[in-house]
Amino acid sequence: MPIVLISSSPHGVGKELARELERKTGWPMFSREQLVEQAHDQGIKLSRLETSIVKSPVIPEKLAREKELYLAFVTAKLCENAREGNLIYYGRAGHLLLPGVSHRLRVGLGVPRQMRVDNVVHDLRLPPEKAAEYIDQLDGDIEKWVHFVHRQDARDPVQYDIFFNLQNMSLANAAVLLCDTAELPDFRPTPASTKRLDDLYLAARAQLRLSEDEHTRGLDLGVRAVGGVVTVTYMPRQEAAAQSISQVLQDLEGCQENVCTMAETNLLWIQEAFDPNTENFKQITRLAQRWGAAVELLRLVPRSGDAPVPTASQAQEEPRSQKPVKQVYTGGVEDDDTEAPADDGGLADTQEELVAIGRSAGGFTVVGGTHEIIEAVEGNSHYSLVILGNLFLDKAAETRKRQTRELGLSIRDRLKAAVITIDELQSRFMFGKKQALKALVYAAALVCLYTAVFHFQDPILNLLGGELHAKWKWAVAITVVVFVPLVAYTYSTVTGLLLKLIDID
Amino acid sequence: MHHFLVNFIQIDVGIALQVVLLGFIGGVLSGFIGSGGAFFMTPGMMNLGVEGVVAVASNITHKFGKAMVGSRKHGEAGNVDKKLAVCVLITAIFGIQLAVWINSFLFKGGAGHGAAKGAGANLYISLVFVCILLVVALSMLRDVLRPSGEGEEGSGPSRKIADFLARFNLPPMIHFKVADTKVSVWILAPVGIATGYLAGTIGVGGFIGVPAMIYVFGVPTAVATGTELYLAMFMGAYGALSYAFQGFVDIRLTMLLYLGSLLGIYLGVYGVKVVNERYIRLVTSVIIILCVLSRGIAIPMYLRQLGYLAIDPGWDKYFNLVSKFFLFASGSTGTLLILYHVIRAYRQRRGIQKSLRVIKPVSTQTV
Repeated sequence: MPIVLISSSPHGVGKELARELERKTGWPMFSREQLVEQAHDQGIKLSRLETSIVKSPVIPEKLAREKELYLAFVTAKLCENAREGNLIYYGRAGHLLLPGVSHRLRVGLGVPRQMRVDNVVHDLRLPPEKAAEYIDQLDGDIEKWVHFVHRQDARDPVQYDIFFNLQNMSLANAAVLLCDTAELPDFRPTPASTKRLDDLYLAARAQLRLSEDEHTRGLDLGVRAVGGVVTVTYMPRQEAAAQSISQVLQDLEGCQENVCTMAETNLLWIQEAFDPNTENFKQITRLAQRWGAAVELLRLVPRSGDAPVPTASQAQEEPRSQKPVKQVYTGGVEDDDTEAPADDGGLADTQEELVAIGRSAGGFTVVGGTHEIIEAVEGNSHYSLVILGNLFLDKAAETRKRQTRELGLSIRDRLKAAVITIDELQSRFMFGKKQALKALVYAAALVCLYTAVFHFQDPILNLLGGELHAKWKWAVAITVVVFVPLVAYTYSTVTGLLLKLIDID
Repeated sequence: MHHFLVNFIQIDVGIALQVVLLGFIGGVLSGFIGSGGAFFMTPGMMNLGVEGVVAVASNITHKFGKAMVGSRKHGEAGNVDKKLAVCVLITAIFGIQLAVWINSFLFKGGAGHGAAKGAGANLYISLVFVCILLVVALSMLRDVLRPSGEGEEGSGPSRKIADFLARFNLPPMIHFKVADTKVSVWILAPVGIATGYLAGTIGVGGFIGVPAMIYVFGVPTAVATGTELYLAMFMGAYGALSYAFQGFVDIRLTMLLYLGSLLGIYLGVYGVKVVNERYIRLVTSVIIILCVLSRGIAIPMYLRQLGYLAIDPGWDKYFNLVSKFFLFASGSTGTLLILYHVIRAYRQRRGIQKSLRVIKPVSTQTV
């Protein structure tokens, strides 16, 4: 049975629908208000964050961390209860919680505006005009909240599994429909979705634990968990904290292993199969070392229509996000999921290699396509670069190219990160023979330009501000405007390439 | 010496190296702070004997080429609202034109009193520089020195002005999709004119443009910075065209500035990644205050040249020297601090690349 996440606006009827569903099913119900109160008791300064989001276009670093903590807190609470069975949650942007868990049922509500205005008039005893203004203001503030906290547009219909327009439907009937929908096999937990839930739970608890400890509190950390392995990335300036991170996570329940990597940013490498002995791997690790970045591996197993389809049993058994096979920890007891795939597409080996060179930000497998990739990485989407490796391998070259390009555009649009293909890596970021030749040609051109100007100073100054200038004012002005960017472009190309050569960019 | 060298200085190796150094320091500060670096380079060139108007003209030309190269990268990152940039640009052109006209008028002896040529323009540029940058630096310093608790409560730039102005809803309103905000033309126009005027007068339009976009229009910071750079490209082109038409652009200075600045800017940007936000703002405000002080010290010299102050002309070189000292001291100290962090981070990256892996012994695991 599913986790029902009802997205409701204040003074709407989300609470009533949730209650009706609770009455019919007997499932435990949680509201955002409850969780916010508990988060506040835990010392998460949510009111400051809310005020900041509404009042200021820029959120200070400290409050941005509060956002991460709040999300971790809510995720931990929901996972804790969802692991024991079903649950109902209602509140602002509820449908955006627990990304990647396929047995959540995301419910949207279209409540007539007048109904909400009437509710405000009743609840707050405001005149109708003021109530309408209040609702508009509130909706605007919530839009900003969703935008900042979830980086999503709450009005996007793709985010919902079911949407009720309550203009012509009673709450009771909506609840009946919801009960029926919840029974559908699409929303039943699978081993994959349960594992995803476990991963989210572990990552959230790890994040909360790190925020509570005096040695690790206030650090800028990226926390991910896959199959019992918690990967934490921390900033170079917080190097001293690395040891503490491992100690803090040592007795965390469910954490079998933790990897701490110093990184200023993350690179996400998406590919169907990895091999640490390839030139691509060398290029990416070199770039990571240059940028002080950690590399996160995402092995994509395309679903039907995109690539070889996993069989029905595989689709059920293979987790949507799973840790590499070699790291499967059994604790001496074999897992029920005995059909873990033998071929992990080189994920484990590549990850091992990344750990060895100190650039690992974890790795996992995603079955599906663009939507699944985004869901899997969204909560941790501080990537400075997404690299699309060899994908859609069963397709013809042209189709592969097109599908890779489309995937890149979608990822760039949603994650707001730069996306390149592996083929572009060399020309864009590395220094090879071609780049050396380019640097030489541009440097030669630059020397010519500077020599010409400084060798013929007198005629040039005459042209810029002397008698010649008086005769050819417009021509001189246009020449300056054309010549200057030429110099800037040539010199910046040379500088950029040389800095690339010494690994600074 | 040819007669046209009245506007342009003689450049020997020493001067050339100093201009390259100015460019380098300006570039590092520019990459680190996110401004154009003109607040350092313009007075620096004036200290080297370059006429104020020529310093401004050469710097705005330099800024044009630099912005053209830089705005490409911002565009790729989706931080540019082209519609907003075009709207601000249309109004900014009036501001630039006004600045060019005033500067040219004062340079050609508009100040009267039989003053030394250029002294009026120099005084005017210095006064605008001191007033504007003092306000910017003190506001920034106040933010940095605010107790941390209060800082959190205040939580970043306020939207008070943007919200207050939005209430009036003065039509016509323009919606900017990338910046995700609506602005009245009546609010946009004065901001554009002010940005253009300052860019044309002292070459630091970004100091007004970026905060105005954030505080007055309510534009997100990243978009404000990207849009300003895009805008700077066109304003720079227009400024360069106008000043070149008037005969004030010294392309040699522009080229020498590039030699330092385009290298420095990479290092400055690298520095931003490794230094925390509060420190960046502290360093920035202190550097700007020292630059203001440096320019302020030169003001009595221009006042004397204009006949407003009766002091010994022999003192000019001391004013100039002290002014130059403060400018280079502030720039060099700031740059050294930034470079120190850059080198430290670079060595850290190379030396301490590590992933610490801890696997729990099976007996201690709780599953």
